[in-house]
Amino acid sequence: MRHVLTLTRRELGAYFLSPMAFLILLAFQAIACINFWDLVDRLSRHQQGLTSLSDPMNVYVSGSTPFWIAILVAVPALTMRLIAEERRSGTIETLLTIPVTETEVVVAKWLAGLMMFWIMLLPFVVYLPFLYFQAKFYFDVGPLISLAIGLSTLGMMFVAIGVFFSSLTRNQIIAAIWTFLLLFMFILLTMLVYFYAVSAQLSWAEAMRFVAVLNQVQTFGTGRLDIRFVSLHLSVCVFMLYLTVKVLETRRAQ
Amino acid sequence: MIEVRRLSKRYGAVLAVDEISFTVGRGEIVGLLGRNGAGKTTTMRILTTYLAPTSGRSTLAGHDVLDEPLEVRRHVGYLPENVPLYPEMRVREYLKFRAKLKDVPRSKRRTAIDHVIERCKLEDVRDRILGQLSKGYRQRVGLAEAMIHDPDILILDEPTAGLDPIQIREVRALIRELGDKHTILLSTHIMSEVEAVCGRVIIIAEGRIALDDQLANLQTEPSIVLEARGPADAIRGALETTPGVARVTVTQRMDGCATFEVRTHNDADLREALAQRVVQNGWPLRQLDRKHTTLEDRFIRAVTVETSSEVQREREAG
Repeated sequence: MRHVLTLTRRELGAYFLSPMAFLILLAFQAIACINFWDLVDRLSRHQQGLTSLSDPMNVYVSGSTPFWIAILVAVPALTMRLIAEERRSGTIETLLTIPVTETEVVVAKWLAGLMMFWIMLLPFVVYLPFLYFQAKFYFDVGPLISLAIGLSTLGMMFVAIGVFFSSLTRNQIIAAIWTFLLLFMFILLTMLVYFYAVSAQLSWAEAMRFVAVLNQVQTFGTGRLDIRFVSLHLSVCVFMLYLTVKVLETRRAQ
Repeated sequence: MIEVRRLSKRYGAVLAVDEISFTVGRGEIVGLLGRNGAGKTTTMRILTTYLAPTSGRSTLAGHDVLDEPLEVRRHVGYLPENVPLYPEMRVREYLKFRAKLKDVPRSKRRTAIDHVIERCKLEDVRDRILGQLSKGYRQRVGLAEAMIHDPDILILDEPTAGLDPIQIREVRALIRELGDKHTILLSTHIMSEVEAVCGRVIIIAEGRIALDDQLANLQTEPSIVLEARGPADAIRGALETTPGVARVTVTQRMDGCATFEVRTHNDADLREALAQRVVQNGWPLRQLDRKHTTLEDRFIRAVTVETSSEVQREREAG
């Protein structure tokens, strides 16, 4: 595992030497700005006693539509090139003929993607001190921490899915489309199916609510760090990384 | 250093490498010669553990490619065909990155990088971006990268492809120099390259070894080519009884004419005696020539014999 850091550093360098990372950061910065505006607006109305706002973190991050659309686009965009590009250009051959294991390569790629995911969410953090110190709105720190942990484990799962699809093809676009489809299922389809199941009073409605990512993050945003969700994210993540290693290993026997 | 035994590789229905066996000793420079698609790259990919063989064994520096791939990789420097590089990195940065991955100890890393930069004449471009380098420099960066961890074995897939004549000479000189410390296996489809660099040649055709010999044995083989009209076997008998002749082989029979290749003892030039012999027997002489078999001849013969026997076999089967 001693090569992971070297590999991750090169991967991050490649992100920041192309416009991709900056474009995504810009998009998230814009969304954070708009959401913060919205939050402040609602909070000031709240003080006038017009609305009640129990969990501000959900209004700010996890409850907003632009945030989820951006995640849906940004995660495939970040992960699509990780392995597919190496396969297309042939550099994978130079990587797997030196004393580096497939596991090290996969973990390094995943780690780089995950770090980009965190960096991508940083713009949301930037505004919070202003709210706390400047506007003197002493919000609860608990929900903030549970949301941060929840979004992190969610990011681990999403990036692992992206890395897996990137390993299957040498075409980045195909990798991105597959990742997008799977994330779309996790984020939106589960919610729609859940609503349908509830309205039809089906017995598996509760199971669907459990896997619906939107619901999970909503829960984190209210300050409940549900370990069942965290362990779901982590186990899907590990499983996906395991599959990716296997994909790289079967290349030898093709 | 390299030992290959009955190695095969099958891609679906295509048999790319068919039970090849050879050994390469320490310090040898061996050229792997063959047409495009003959199985050179596949063989090299198996030896560098990038691909697993379908059957057969191969050991490099005492380690088996299937049992201890990581140990094999530690002892092998590999220059893949077309030299894939990360276009956004700089030359020095790339060499440092690769040195780290190849476990060059921190204390020796700097000297190792400076050493390969000097050896491959990369001083002028050490801070340039890889994506903007010319083909010749890319090739040299690949070579520098392959030898940065000072491996026992260097496997070079078409090291001079795409270079201009002067660069080719430089790279060949470099490979010859490296030959005194490293064991080198290089592939090419340029005959003169093997003659200029290698001590030994292995010709691969259709996934099989068509020829494996020291270059010295191949070059000094003067023979007399003789073509005459008449009964081939009778002519051959007459030629064989000429004093000084070692061996006569019929290379072609066509329309009552036959072509022979005559080997003589001590490489004596017997053209006059042979001409007399043929004319005395009343067979019209059509051609008489003395020539050195070049590597090119051997290559073409090895490859065409291989394909024609293939065609024959297919005919018999069908």
